[in-house]
Amino acid sequence: MAYYKGLDGVSEEDLDPYFGIAKLDEQLKGIPPKKVVLISASPSVGNEVFGYQIIHKNITSGVKVLVFLNRTSPQSYLTDMKEYDFPPNDNLVIIDAYSGITGIKSEETDHIRVINNPYDKEEVKTKIIKELNEGYGLLVIDSFSLLADFFDFSFAISFMNDIKQVIVAKESAAVLLFTDWGYEKQNVDKLLSNVNSTIEIKGIEKRVIFGQYFAVLKCDWLEEKPTFSSVLFKAIKPGGIRVYFPKILVTGPTDAGKSSFIHSASKNAVSVDKLGGTIALDHGTVDFEGYRADLFGTPGQERFDPLLKMLGGEAIGVFLVVDSTKPEQFPRAVEMLRKTETYGLPVVVIANKADLKGALKKEELREKLHLDSAITLVQTVAEDLSKVDPNEPTKLKEVNIHEALSALFKQLT
Amino acid sequence: MEGIKTGFKNFDQLTNGLDYRKVYSLFGDKESGKEQFLYKLVQSALSSNIAVVYVLTSKSYSELINEFNSRGININPYLGESFKILDDFSRTNSPSATDNAYAKILNGPIDLTGLSVSLSSVNSDFIKDAKPVINIFDNLSNLLIYNNPVTVYRFLQFVCGKDKLAGVTILFSVDTAMHPPEVIETIKNLSDAILDLKLQDGKRYFKLSGTTKEVLEFKELE
Repeated sequence: MAYYKGLDGVSEEDLDPYFGIAKLDEQLKGIPPKKVVLISASPSVGNEVFGYQIIHKNITSGVKVLVFLNRTSPQSYLTDMKEYDFPPNDNLVIIDAYSGITGIKSEETDHIRVINNPYDKEEVKTKIIKELNEGYGLLVIDSFSLLADFFDFSFAISFMNDIKQVIVAKESAAVLLFTDWGYEKQNVDKLLSNVNSTIEIKGIEKRVIFGQYFAVLKCDWLEEKPTFSSVLFKAIKPGGIRVYFPKILVTGPTDAGKSSFIHSASKNAVSVDKLGGTIALDHGTVDFEGYRADLFGTPGQERFDPLLKMLGGEAIGVFLVVDSTKPEQFPRAVEMLRKTETYGLPVVVIANKADLKGALKKEELREKLHLDSAITLVQTVAEDLSKVDPNEPTKLKEVNIHEALSALFKQLT
Repeated sequence: MEGIKTGFKNFDQLTNGLDYRKVYSLFGDKESGKEQFLYKLVQSALSSNIAVVYVLTSKSYSELINEFNSRGININPYLGESFKILDDFSRTNSPSATDNAYAKILNGPIDLTGLSVSLSSVNSDFIKDAKPVINIFDNLSNLLIYNNPVTVYRFLQFVCGKDKLAGVTILFSVDTAMHPPEVIETIKNLSDAILDLKLQDGKRYFKLSGTTKEVLEFKELE
């Protein structure tokens, strides 16, 4: 049974295969039965990690997945999947349409079916249809463009239509991984019109690649087109595809707990600090529920205010950290939003030290900070007060951190 | 502007070296000395602070390093620094082979997407380091054997276009005897410059066309 646990932390259970990729599952709600999804990538970006992640998500959720593989050997494929921390299990069966090309000897096992002559259209078609009839929740073809290269585009389209019939009959679904090498437009248009959904993967590139994104170009099972046009991502090894927010600012008055927040939320945070107070900046990378974000913390002291505008530049969201016991600092907190020029961006207010004596209650905090009802306020406390070291950022409770991340990421997606 | 020196004295004098940002095809038969030319070019480029991405299709990265060593070329200081290998061969024999600091293990000759993605990524890393880059394909013939030629042409068009945009020089080594004339002709058409090597009476000769300083008659390679 596949399910997707989104930012709300709610499991949505049903029998459909899911992508296992943040944002796609939230918007498309998985892949309904009888549907074919095309994942079309530019040749400088690649889509194989999307394939690994979709396979892993489904086999670990109990969905039987059949992979038609003509790009590499099953052993190499599984090695690469493991490098992303996606180990195989009994729900995965691979049809090996590669080894026969290179002359590597491949033997059938419980999880590997072999196409002896991958140049034989009939054998390719017969074997995959026979296997699909055994009953699979999902078919992944890696790669569909190679199939078109090997034979021709019209065979690839007719092959897809034959497979679609079996998928419809067996209530299965399919994902086709496709590299767009600049094929004839009419062929690509025909392919796009024959699939139910197209997800495009591209690089932002000039001389070098400085970002990658995916976008849903088409999805016929949604009444409305998804609200996002394109989503930045990173492929992390291990970990797989993460929706990526390049810059989130963490700001607030001195000693409110900005460094504590960054160090608690990320695994690799660094601070440029002196005797416990941040004097330049903090940085940390957060991985949470299929999302990755780079957090940048500002110093709180007023003497660094000239830096704030620069530090806030290009941020797409803000965590404003305040000390719940120091309402006298609240005007300074709001002023910092203005000085970082992030006022009006999606913001989550972190009311830290909520368990200390004199801490204001939630409603008092909202009132004194003049918070609009739409702004999320999350109260945070130290994990263990007895372990607080004035020279080290204090660890905050994980549940609070998750609540804050979830609240801001939801606003950003 | 000075080109990329190949390490062959008379070649560099007559041609001014390889022009930056150009696509070269290196043609020759098995004994013509293509590998010797490539290895010396690698040595010369690295010693001039030019980054080299070496795409291997018919031997493993460890065999390549042994060949450098056996020819007295000390490649070790450059490994993983300005010399990176894209090994498209090792997995033919060892399907579970994985990357190390200087060699990226690719899936094999069919997975041109994997090769293209890796090439973009390694070139990007070098360019971000402000290094001039040359991509050397040793060799193109193996890709042509395993794939439909049209698929390889499409791949070459994409890679050459990207490399030119990125300011990268590119050189494809092709074993002339392995391909029909129409394939050789198409590769020539995709290239800016053609470098021919031949062995005659125990001596190696070259000619070069399509560059600012052409050598249109065979000259001895010294």
